[in-house]
Amino acid sequence: MKAKAHRGDPFDALGNSYRRAIVELLADQPHSVQEIADRMPISRPAVSRHLRLLNRAGLVTDQQVGTRRLYRLDEQGAEAARKYLAQVWGHVGTRFRLFAENTRPLTQRR
Amino acid sequence: MIEPFRTSFDVACAPDHAFAAWTQKASSWWPVEHTASHEAGTKILFEPRVGGRIFERTPGGLEIEWGEVVEWDPPRRLRYLWHIATDPEHATDVEIVFRELPDSSTRIEIEHGGWERLGEIAQSWREANRAGWDGVLPSYMSACRVS
Repeated sequence: MKAKAHRGDPFDALGNSYRRAIVELLADQPHSVQEIADRMPISRPAVSRHLRLLNRAGLVTDQQVGTRRLYRLDEQGAEAARKYLAQVWGHVGTRFRLFAENTRPLTQRR
Repeated sequence: MIEPFRTSFDVACAPDHAFAAWTQKASSWWPVEHTASHEAGTKILFEPRVGGRIFERTPGGLEIEWGEVVEWDPPRRLRYLWHIATDPEHATDVEIVFRELPDSSTRIEIEHGGWERLGEIAQSWREANRAGWDGVLPSYMSACRVS
């Protein structure tokens, strides 16, 4: 799995309850895709899709251990999570500020 | 308890304009890549009352719900449940405070929390993974806090 090609957004990563659940599961210990799928009401391919998105958001990484591929929280994940929310809200804030500062009060427009 | 994400910034306009711009003109500034449809020309609409819907409407007329207004206190405070791309029962909480500054500009304070609201499915094994929950994840999410 190639890491961090781009960052996800909140709707693609922590905005989804299954992905938050996977993050919580991996906080306990590394797991294979099958182990994660066994604990959740979604299919193995669905788990793989969620893991790919979490990987792109920099939250999860993987490692081959013998015949098994194990997924774990990225050690840099805390920083990634902070940056990722800061990036999203920063983007929203910047666009909002530009708009609000360059428009007249809506109720006082002549 | 997972620490909410917090951030703030100042805007050179009065709170009533900032509040109105946030709630009535979101279509003009909300990044289209952070919509559910990702479609250019999508409108973002707030129903201006507690219990009001927050949703987007694509140019084709498709409506996708984002959340629900929990507190409507213009021009000071806005709170909503935000469940874009997930089920309503797994919504996160967004609070926007519009604080008037002495120079009549506005400080926008954003708090985005409710990350612990994982729903019943997660709840069942959350009990089984208490060590993990109490260990790594809180520090993981507390790092989301911006000082």
